[in-house]
Amino acid sequence: MNRVVIAETLRRHLTNGAYLAFLALLAIVALGTSTFDKPASGWPSLVALLALIAGCGPIGPEFSSGTLQLILVKPVNRAAYLLSRVTGVVLAVWAAAILAALCELAGRALWSDSVPAAIIGSTLLNALIDTVLTVSLLTLLGSLTRAYFNVALYVVAMIGFGVLGMVLGMIRQSRNALGRFLIENPAVERGLSVVEQNLFPDLPPRLDTQWTLMILANAAVALVLACLAFRRREVPYGAD
Amino acid sequence: MSVPGVRIRALRKSFRTFRRTQEVLHGIDLEVAPGEVVGLIGPNGAGKTTLMSCLLGFLNPDAGEIAIDGKANDDLDVRRRTGFVPERMNFDRRATGWEFLRYMARLAEVPRAEADARCKAMLERLGLTNAADKKLAQYSRGMLQRIGMCQALIHEPAYLFLDEPTSGLDPNGVLLVRDLITEQKARGAAVLLNSHQLAEIEKVCDRVLFLHRGVIERAETLRHADRIVVAVTMLPGFDAAAVERIAGAAPRENVVIVTVETETDIAALVRELVAGGAGVIDVRRHTTDLESIFRGAA
Repeated sequence: MNRVVIAETLRRHLTNGAYLAFLALLAIVALGTSTFDKPASGWPSLVALLALIAGCGPIGPEFSSGTLQLILVKPVNRAAYLLSRVTGVVLAVWAAAILAALCELAGRALWSDSVPAAIIGSTLLNALIDTVLTVSLLTLLGSLTRAYFNVALYVVAMIGFGVLGMVLGMIRQSRNALGRFLIENPAVERGLSVVEQNLFPDLPPRLDTQWTLMILANAAVALVLACLAFRRREVPYGAD
Repeated sequence: MSVPGVRIRALRKSFRTFRRTQEVLHGIDLEVAPGEVVGLIGPNGAGKTTLMSCLLGFLNPDAGEIAIDGKANDDLDVRRRTGFVPERMNFDRRATGWEFLRYMARLAEVPRAEADARCKAMLERLGLTNAADKKLAQYSRGMLQRIGMCQALIHEPAYLFLDEPTSGLDPNGVLLVRDLITEQKARGAAVLLNSHQLAEIEKVCDRVLFLHRGVIERAETLRHADRIVVAVTMLPGFDAAAVERIAGAAPRENVVIVTVETETDIAALVRELVAGGAGVIDVRRHTTDLESIFRGAA
């Protein structure tokens, strides 16, 4: 890991008007939803969106912009650079998530009788862990593609899994030959669901050790694959 | 034993597209010694950029050897001593010149305590002090080129790779870059300069390599470490026999090309020619005519 790269990644976020505007939006939403009965009901989705937006930045777009040429002639190991960029982005999203959780806690302390700190805290922790996976997957896709194709692929896959699940369910109910095959082989749909939950998991309502380990393991695999892909990848000269 | 400087042997590189493979470099041999400035010229598509990209580790060669100080080009110790100026500076345009340069300095492992002072000195040297707080998006092409030089030189590299460093620069900038290259050479840096500016190549390079269709077709020594070649132009009507006796070379038309060892020898030669009755009107260092060679190669 390279502290200079992590600090620069953080600096770029903290001086970015769009990021700061997003933080303000998160704070407003967290304060607003603190009057709702259900704790942590609004901001986790926005944190997931921020992870998606910020996570698509490392590697892929740097190939296209030509930025990587200046970096890779410096004494920084490619894997260390990739991991440092991921760490910087993750920290920036974490800062936003923590701000949102604190805003909700403050709102509930001001306007409610009870402060469900345990629920908000566990939702926050789950959101932080989920951020690691989202950014890792986007970085893996970024190490294989150019520009912002990583986020396009990510969104297409996320929607694709949902649509495929629905289509398989409809086929199963149609009772034709393919439907019968799906009924006789439930592992097909179950497998698809497992893959979807591994890549695009729903946040559990409470802390869940098994879920946490699954997410972190998947993120680790994604990062190892990203490092391997980036290590030997040729860097085009100039910008796209 | 490791050889100091840049050394390339039998370098081959091809690009594969869906249907065919095109070999761009066909076995390049190249050496740049410490304290030497080598120019790389050739027509578009000759393979200069591909060669530079292989040298810097952006592209993986198909075959051959690249060694810098006897080590692989992706060795972090080599990177610590490498500077690179790309033809076009591409970086986060929202960063200010100062932020960009400080980041580059810290990445190049310039100690935190020294980074600010070095950045300030480099910006001043390249005439960018007043633009330090401007965003890179507001920089002109020439300013970007200047800050590109800053980031390449900030850690005093032993190996300097320059790709069209004067493109987009005004005449003052061109002179500045020329001075900087000369300073790096004097410091003992090995410099590889890729440029279409033949006049610049002539002025700063010790050797020049003509790359054409992926091979080095010609190598010319422009400056010798142990001798100076000068062209002395004289007024018409001089005594050719006397000039030949003094200079040790026969004049052609009214110019005599002479090889001497030092600059003091040049002064002595001029004195003797004038004493021998020749009207010396011009003395300049004689280099190979790159333009005609370029035309021939292209």
